Amino acid sequence: MASDDAAGCRTMKYILTRAMGVLLLAGFVSAQNAGDKPFVIMAPVGNVKVRAGATKDVPMDFRIGSEFHINSHTPKSPLLIPTALKLNPPPQVTVADVKYPAGEDQSFPFSPDEKLNVYSGDFSIDALLKVPANTPAGAYPVKGELRFQACDRSACYPPHSLPVQFQVTVLK
Amino acid sequence: MKRNALVFIALVVAILAMLASGKYLDRARRHGPLKLVGDVQGVAAPDFTLTSLDGRKVKLSDFRGKAVLLNFWATWCPPCKVEMPWFEDLQRQYGNAGLVVLGVAMDDTEPAKIAKYANELGVNYPVLLGTNQVSDDYGDVQYLPTTFYIGRDGTIVDKMTGLLDRKDVEEAVKKALSSSARPVDVRQKEARVDRKSSASKRDQTAPPSPDAMSTVVLAHP
Repeated sequence: MASDDAAGCRTMKYILTRAMGVLLLAGFVSAQNAGDKPFVIMAPVGNVKVRAGATKDVPMDFRIGSEFHINSHTPKSPLLIPTALKLNPPPQVTVADVKYPAGEDQSFPFSPDEKLNVYSGDFSIDALLKVPANTPAGAYPVKGELRFQACDRSACYPPHSLPVQFQVTVLK
Repeated sequence: MKRNALVFIALVVAILAMLASGKYLDRARRHGPLKLVGDVQGVAAPDFTLTSLDGRKVKLSDFRGKAVLLNFWATWCPPCKVEMPWFEDLQRQYGNAGLVVLGVAMDDTEPAKIAKYANELGVNYPVLLGTNQVSDDYGDVQYLPTTFYIGRDGTIVDKMTGLLDRKDVEEAVKKALSSSARPVDVRQKEARVDRKSSASKRDQTAPPSPDAMSTVVLAHP
């Protein structure tokens, strides 16, 4: 009987611990989303593995909220704010190139005669990373931001920045 | 077992409190203490002193007795560009009747660039350089264009967010020109707004609901 009670307690403790974890996660996610619809979200990049002395193409996938569009990297007017990825790698990693997709020429109800070059839906930006041959093996965090300016069908929002972060693991 | 159940209930209560405070803190972070929210009609327009593109100090209360069309815009906002020729026409048409159009540029760029853009569009009304303070005072103006129509007595008669029809704009101008209501204290009005559940039909600035997409990193409006 006593061992049955002890086993029951252990089971209850296990359930409580798991439930607490789930609720804490739910609380965190909700606080992050409270009341807002994000303009742009980013898929996880994962751990980027690259040998010392080699280069690595790192695709970064983004999704724009269904009712928004953002200017492409090359908007048609210098007054429009281009989408730009800025990476700040550690000294052991260099960003050799950043490749942006071509935007799509679209007209909107607020200006049917004028075409804007925009991204909407999903898009991907490729960063070409270079790791010098003398780089010691190890993990190197790369941080940065995607700067963009979003509009919907009748209005525009101020420029925003989306944090970008991933890890580069250098192998020997 | 009883103790475990109590711990569980306490945890649930704590997490619910966390959810509620998360929402509150997020709102506070984004908006700070809002002064103009919901239905702002009849609220005294917050006074400001801003610098115009030609370097003059312009004070809203100096226009008491006139109807003011106060338009928040930016050079990076294509819908804003559509309205500006309308405002130029309305300034010409109703200027003698007492309309004053004021543009507030919310750009984070050099005034020379804003001036060049305004000149190219033939803007015939003063353009003022916006500040965070004036944005906050007018309810955290994030959604451009946003236009406040202020009556001769200094109270807001209408607010429009996003690009609407020209006839809506002209109607609001006429309303501002014909307005003669006495100013209402902002705090009184806020208390009234709190009791009302619905915001102005034309006010589309309410934050949208969370997206269903799987979110890893968010950039919020």
